[in-house]
Amino acid sequence: MNKELEHSFVEQLQKHQNIVHKVCRLYTNNADAHNDLFQEITIQLWRAYPKFRGDAKFSTWMYRVGLNTAITLYRKSKRRINTQAFDTVQFKIKAEDYDDTEEQQLKLLYQAVHQLNDIEKALVFLYLEDKDYREISATLGITEVNARVKMNRVKKKLKTILNP
Amino acid sequence: MDELELLKKDWKKATTEYKNYSDADIYPMLHKKSSSIVRTLYYISLAELGFWILISTLPYLFKSKFNEQMAESYKDPWFTTLSVLSFVIIFVFVYLLYASHKAISVTDNAKKLMEKILRTRKVIKYYVIYNLVMIFISIPFSLYLEYNQNMVFHDQIDAFNTKQMFVLYASVTLLTGVCLLLFWLFYKLLYGILLKRLNRNYNELKKLEV
Repeated sequence: MNKELEHSFVEQLQKHQNIVHKVCRLYTNNADAHNDLFQEITIQLWRAYPKFRGDAKFSTWMYRVGLNTAITLYRKSKRRINTQAFDTVQFKIKAEDYDDTEEQQLKLLYQAVHQLNDIEKALVFLYLEDKDYREISATLGITEVNARVKMNRVKKKLKTILNP
Repeated sequence: MDELELLKKDWKKATTEYKNYSDADIYPMLHKKSSSIVRTLYYISLAELGFWILISTLPYLFKSKFNEQMAESYKDPWFTTLSVLSFVIIFVFVYLLYASHKAISVTDNAKKLMEKILRTRKVIKYYVIYNLVMIFISIPFSLYLEYNQNMVFHDQIDAFNTKQMFVLYASVTLLTGVCLLLFWLFYKLLYGILLKRLNRNYNELKKLEV
């Protein structure tokens, strides 16, 4: 494979890797699974890269490939058993803005999001990334109206999980 | 405040807290093997295709007596036509499988991508069904041919009383049933496990349309 292509790909992925990490954060529960999914998304991105045209933004293109991998292609490995909750390990809120109620609330929120199904997580992900309904519908292959309807249902579902 | 807004605030803040892979970390990742469902499906398809082609050609390779019979059979224009047809059908399936696999693109939208994966799975499913049907048609058909051409066999069957005929029919039916059940279970299990998540997600998107 073309070394130049490889180089430009790695450079761009390195720069935008947070997008991949964020997908992994929503779809996995522990560090091992996170790394596995990161690896798989990287492979899928790299395979699709020769067809990537500059007319789309690299980051936008990454959203699509990343989510597709998480939703359709990735097979959770059987070896992985949830050993430790990822959120508590890697995302400790720093001491200076420590706020017991907000921290507690966020922890519950992340737990609630993890209980959503794969499609609902995708909607939440795109929402958190400030994507509009046009882009959400284009990424998932549903109409804008349905994307809105679904998003409202997800919000309701989150409320029910948080306040049963 | 809206729960999701609170989450969004934290989500944006959290960007710096992920592990930062360097270029040197990423390079080796590019050359690792994918564990994607498409890849697994692809290998299973190839194995199934290979299995059935082997099943249909194995008798030619080993049994010389069978070969002699085949040479005799090929004089029958019907038989020759059917054989050519069955090879054409194999090639059609190979082509369909190749084309549907090629069409899978990770940059499609999620729904389309899932549809294409499921289509690949369908091609191989139809191929298996085709083979099973052919086998179950050919068993009674060859018995019938044998009955017409092989006089010894003909006389044996004719000498059967009603009870023996019943046993013959019952055992053929039972055998067919058990074989079908085993195949069905095997495929349910294989694809059920493999595509459970994909099917669930696809149905979730489909559900929105009604």
